[in-house]
Amino acid sequence: MIAVLALLAGVVLGVWLDPTVPAALQPYLPIAVVAALDAVFGGVRAKLDRIFDDKQFVVSFISNVLVAGLIVYLGDQLGVGGQLSTGVVVVLGVRIFGNVAAIRRHLFRA
Amino acid sequence: MTGTPGDGRGRGDRVYAPDFLTELFRNPLDPGYADAAARRRERRDPPSGWRHWSARSVALLVAVALGFLFAVAYRETLEAEPGRSQARSGLVEQIKQRESDTDRLSVRADELRAEVARQREAALGGSEAARLRALEAGTGLGRVRGDGVVVRLADAPQKADAVTGTDVGPSRVIYSDLQGVANDLWAAGAEAIAVNGQRLTATSTIRSAGQAILVDFRPVTGPYEVSAIGPGSMRERYEGSRSALTMRKVAEDTGLSFGVREAEEITLPAAAEPRLRYAEPSVSPTASPSGAERSGPSGSRTSPSPSGGGR
Repeated sequence: MIAVLALLAGVVLGVWLDPTVPAALQPYLPIAVVAALDAVFGGVRAKLDRIFDDKQFVVSFISNVLVAGLIVYLGDQLGVGGQLSTGVVVVLGVRIFGNVAAIRRHLFRA
Repeated sequence: MTGTPGDGRGRGDRVYAPDFLTELFRNPLDPGYADAAARRRERRDPPSGWRHWSARSVALLVAVALGFLFAVAYRETLEAEPGRSQARSGLVEQIKQRESDTDRLSVRADELRAEVARQREAALGGSEAARLRALEAGTGLGRVRGDGVVVRLADAPQKADAVTGTDVGPSRVIYSDLQGVANDLWAAGAEAIAVNGQRLTATSTIRSAGQAILVDFRPVTGPYEVSAIGPGSMRERYEGSRSALTMRKVAEDTGLSFGVREAEEITLPAAAEPRLRYAEPSVSPTASPSGAERSGPSGSRTSPSPSGGGR
């Protein structure tokens, strides 16, 4: 519950502060969002599984975002940025999908 | 949070199987959560207050950061969209404006060219002017008309690769096809050739730049029409030439279209005046004073006069 409030606070903060993203970081924003979504759904599912762990959540969020950004950066340098970011999106998408399915089973028992 | 996880995995028995994807599909949750729960169960004591709360607050900070990230990304996407479409429409507008500029200027150039021709004719005598016109027609600097053939080449209908979405294969007309057609038309006796309305002269080039074909540095787009004025036997002679045979075969194999037809009374436009930077006329036929001076050192040339329409 508090976590949801914190999330909302973050959204409000983002809307209110309206920061400008540096141009160099802009290509990585969508990937970072997907990675963050993966961390969020992982956390929610862990919560419902009753194995949520604060440290694990923090570490998974930060490392997800950093690794995803790093892979895409590396891909850009090697000239395969598009393909590598597709790979990242596929892997994270599969995980998000699986976690959402688990959450659905928890909530609806179906 | 007293963990009673369903799966009895302890830490360390997670195997990074070679079948990574199957594992990913079966168990999408970060294994770290299970590990942490197992660790807690082993210790069986509630985590100390300070540690617990600091971890908690960091997690909440991360949640705030998450929300922040989402909001920023959303706004960024919203802001980028009008910028993108604006840039695109700006470019389209620029292209249109430049095109209309070019049209206007080329109309003006035509007017001026006609004006120059008129003035010159007024200045020169009748026979001189006729001679000049003949020279211009021969060298491609004057408009000509007559009977001839039109060779039409067009790209095959787009066949996109199902996987990559890019169009594949040699089913496009390339610059060397046009070169071959033009060369064989010259060989078949053509006296004037134009590609899509671009008259070819002695210094004309047919080249490619990326996907575009440039004739005299001006882009031409398909379908390409190579019009040539020449003798009545030209079509027959051209049909037997190498480029015609090659293109027929290519057209059969790839779906590219290639056709030769005779045309009556075609008009070919004049080419733009070539800007010669290094070559100068050695002797003018009417030996103007300056031309006579210049002819001194190069007087030993065997054929000093540029014979009309010589190629």
